[in-house]
Formats: sequence, structure tokens, C-alpha cells
Amino acid sequence: MSLEGGVTFIKIGGPDLQLKMSHEEKLKNYRTAPFDARFPNTNQTRNCYQNYLDYHRCNKALTAKDKDPAPCEWYHRVYKSLCPIAWVQKWDDQLEAGTFPGKI
Amino acid sequence: MSSMLKVVGKQLKNHPALIPLFIFIGGGATMSMMYLARLALKNPDVSWDRKNNPEPWNKLEHNQQYKLFAVNMDYTKLKKDRPDF
Repeated sequence: MSLEGGVTFIKIGGPDLQLKMSHEEKLKNYRTAPFDARFPNTNQTRNCYQNYLDYHRCNKALTAKDKDPAPCEWYHRVYKSLCPIAWVQKWDDQLEAGTFPGKI
Repeated sequence: MSSMLKVVGKQLKNHPALIPLFIFIGGGATMSMMYLARLALKNPDVSWDRKNNPEPWNKLEHNQQYKLFAVNMDYTKLKKDRPDF
């Protein structure tokens, strides 16, 4: 529905909603990491690691294509919500030293 | 092998009440083996070929359910969150 003056309100709900939301809107509405069907169990270790990897892979892929890496911020938020700070620090140090074991 | 089966066959003919035992034990063993096979072949954490299938969990759809029973989680209502890149 839209009011005069071009203001549009988005109704929360509906399966296409996330696709229609822009990246800025998604990040503004971000509260915590949403449920991820790939990791339905209590152990969320892989969820944390996968988002860390995806953030860096996304940055690498988008900068290689000369596109704005802003969408990658989603993964950054998710891994910051999920991962223990010590792990993130260790992996960041490893990335700087070039010893990070994951494939980016 | 066949001599063992012949012995069992004779025992069953003399004691037919044992047949349900075979059915239930056989059914239980089959179900266990089927569950192990499901785990080995369908579990998204399992990768038999690390070179060509390194991260099999990424092949799941955003609303695909692997669990047999999911309590309090309606997978049909899940939306696609992650940006593509």
C-alpha cells in the first residue's frame, strides 16, 4: 500500500519479502542471526564458520567483479552474532598472517 | 549359508510361533540399516568426495528440511535471507 508523497510501507510477512527488501533495509531490521535450514541442530559451530567464510568469499568475489561489497555486510553481521570473539580474532590474525586454513 | 537356512526352516516348521520373532527382529534390523544408509547418503554434513563435493550443506534449499521430525519450526514459512554473490 502506498500513501501520497511516495511513502511505501512494507507489510511484514510473505515469502518474497526478504527478496524485495534492499540490503540497507535488511541490515536496519537485523536483530540476530536468523534460523538457517542448513544448520538445524544445537551445534552452530559450522554456521559461524560458514558465515565467516562467506563474508570473505563475498568480499573477494564482489571486489573481483568491481561491484560494491555492501551486500556482504549481512554475513558479517551473522558471524558477529554467532561466533565467539576469540575465534574471530584468531581467524582474523591467521588471515593477516596468511595462515588461514579455510578456502576463501 | 543355505544349510543354515535349512536348519532355521526346519525349526520354524516345528515351532511356527517363532515366525513373529523373525518379522520383528528383521524389521528392526532393516529400519536401523535404512537409517544408517540415510545418514551416509543424505546427511548434509557427510561428504564422500571432498574434492568435488567440499561443502554439501550448501546444497540445501533455504526451506528444505533434513530432520525427520522438526518441533516448533515451520520450514514452509522460511524466507531466503542470504545475499547471493
